[in-house]
Amino acid sequence: MRTVCIVGVGMTQFGRFKESNVIELGRIAALNALRDAGIDKKDIQVAYAGHARTGQLYNRECGIGQSVLWELGISGIPISSVGNFCSSGSTALRDAWMAIGTGMYDVAIALGVEKLTGRAGKGRPLTSDGVELLTVMGFSPPVYFGNVATRHMEEYGTTKEQLAMVAVKNRKNAGPNPRCQYRDPITIEEVLNSPLIVEPLTLLNCCPTTDGAAAAILCSKEVAKRYTSKPVEIAASALSSGPYKKCKDITTFGADRCAGKDAYEISGIGPEDIDFAEVHDCFTIAEIVHYEDFGFCKKGEGGRFIEEGLSDINGKIPVSVSGGLMSRGHPIGATGLAQIAEAVWQLRGVAENQVKGAKVAFTHCAGGFQDTIELGDVQSSAVTILKRGW
Amino acid sequence: MPTHESGSTAQSIEEYIDPRLKPLIKMPESPSERPRLIGNKCKFCKEYFFPKRVLCPNCLKEEGLEDVLLSHRGRLYTYCIVKAAPLGFSAPYAVGYVDLPEGLRIFSPLTVDNEKELQIGMDLELFVDKIREDETGKTVYGYRFRPFSI
Repeated sequence: MRTVCIVGVGMTQFGRFKESNVIELGRIAALNALRDAGIDKKDIQVAYAGHARTGQLYNRECGIGQSVLWELGISGIPISSVGNFCSSGSTALRDAWMAIGTGMYDVAIALGVEKLTGRAGKGRPLTSDGVELLTVMGFSPPVYFGNVATRHMEEYGTTKEQLAMVAVKNRKNAGPNPRCQYRDPITIEEVLNSPLIVEPLTLLNCCPTTDGAAAAILCSKEVAKRYTSKPVEIAASALSSGPYKKCKDITTFGADRCAGKDAYEISGIGPEDIDFAEVHDCFTIAEIVHYEDFGFCKKGEGGRFIEEGLSDINGKIPVSVSGGLMSRGHPIGATGLAQIAEAVWQLRGVAENQVKGAKVAFTHCAGGFQDTIELGDVQSSAVTILKRGW
Repeated sequence: MPTHESGSTAQSIEEYIDPRLKPLIKMPESPSERPRLIGNKCKFCKEYFFPKRVLCPNCLKEEGLEDVLLSHRGRLYTYCIVKAAPLGFSAPYAVGYVDLPEGLRIFSPLTVDNEKELQIGMDLELFVDKIREDETGKTVYGYRFRPFSI
C-alpha cells in the first residue's frame, strides 16, 4: 500500500432541514470538499458514496452518489454506493483509501449523506435497520444501549452522573463549532432530569435525529503535493464486522476491538500517541465503552475516565472535541466523513475547538445490530487514524 | 381478550402469536405442560442455536442439526425499561437479555409487577402473553420471561 492523503474536506451544517433533500445536502458537502482541495472536478477518478437509511426514504436503494455527483458534473467514472450501517461514510473513505493505496487510482472522493428527518415520529426512537424479530418484541437502538448501561453500571459501578458527564462534555465542545445541531451548554442535572427514553438513558444521553452530508478528497501522497502543502495522511483505516460469540459480554464491542487493534497495528500508532479522538458517541454509555475498547483506559474504568476529566479538551486524550454525535448530530451515513472533516481541520490547526498542536487523530464509527434474537455484537466498526503529512 | 392465565386453550392463544415468532414457540399440549422455545443443536459440535439455524456455522453441516426444546427457565443478564415506546407498544415496558442453561443469551420482553423488582441474575421463567398491538389495534402475543421463585 502506498501512502494516501486527504487534501480536501467539506460538510454541510448538521441539523433538521425539512426543506432540503439528500441530493442537495450531498452536493453542498462535495462542492465544499472540491473547493477546499482546490481540485478540478475532472481530476476525480473514482467515487464512493456512503448512506445507510436514505435510500428507503428517497425511494432509491442505489445511485445516491451518481445523483449527487451528476449535479457537480462528475460522471463517466466508477461511482458506487457503500451501505454499512453507521459506518457507511467511514467505509466509503476506506474504499477510497484502498483504491488509491493499491495504485489503481490517484484521486478519489468519498461522500457520506443522510436525511433522517421525516423518518422517526416525534418522540419515538428511530427503529433499527432490519432486525425484524427483535423489533416485534420491542427492540430499538436505545434499548440495546440501555441494556449496555445497566450491565456496565452493575459490573463496574458506572453511575448515571458519569453518563451525564459525557453529554455535558460533548455539548461544551460543540459550543464553538457552528456545524453542530446543538451548542448551548447543558448541566449534569439537566441531562439527568430530561425525559427518560430507555431507563437508565434520558433524552440528553441520546444523539439526536439529524440531516447532513460530508465529503473528503483523497490522493496518493505524490499527487497530494500538487494541491496542498498540508496533506493529512491516512495512517490506517480498519474495518471489522462483529465477531459471533456465544453469551457475548454486552459491555464491550468485539467489532470495535478488532478494528482498533488492526488500526493500531497498521499505523504503528498506539493510544498513547493519539492527540484527540472522535468516537461513535451515539449514546453516552457508548463513549464510555469506547474509552475501554480502544485502550484509552482499562476495562471497567470508562466511568472514571470521564469523571476525572481525562477525555476533556485539555485531558489525557480529548474525545469528541467537535461535539460528537451527541451535539453535532448523527446523519448515519454522513457521520464517518464528518468526523474526518473535523479531524482534518484539527490537524491543520484551524478547528474552532482546537486541540493545541494536534498531530495524530483517531476517528471511529460503528453500528448495526445482528438480525437475530441472540445477543450480538455491532455489525460494523471502522477506525481511521490520521496524522499530519507535513 | 383471553389470556393464558385464565385457562383458555393453547390453541386459542396460538392464533394471537406474532406470525414471525410462531415458529419459535411450542405451545403446551396439555395443562401440565408449559410453553417452550424451539431451538436446535448441532450433534457434531454440541452448540445450541435460537432461533434455529439451517446450517451449523461451526461445522457447516446441515445434517447435524436437531430440534430441541429449550429450558423454560433462565437468568436475567441485563435489562432496561422503555419509556418512549415504538408504535404498537405502550410504555413503560421492560426488556432485557436472558441467559438460558443451553449457553444462549437471548432478547426477551420481561413482565414484573414493579420495575424495581428487576435485578441482574434473578431467576426467570418463560410464558406467553401480549407483547404489543399490530397496526389495526389487534393484540399480538409472543414469548416473555417473568420472575420465578421456587
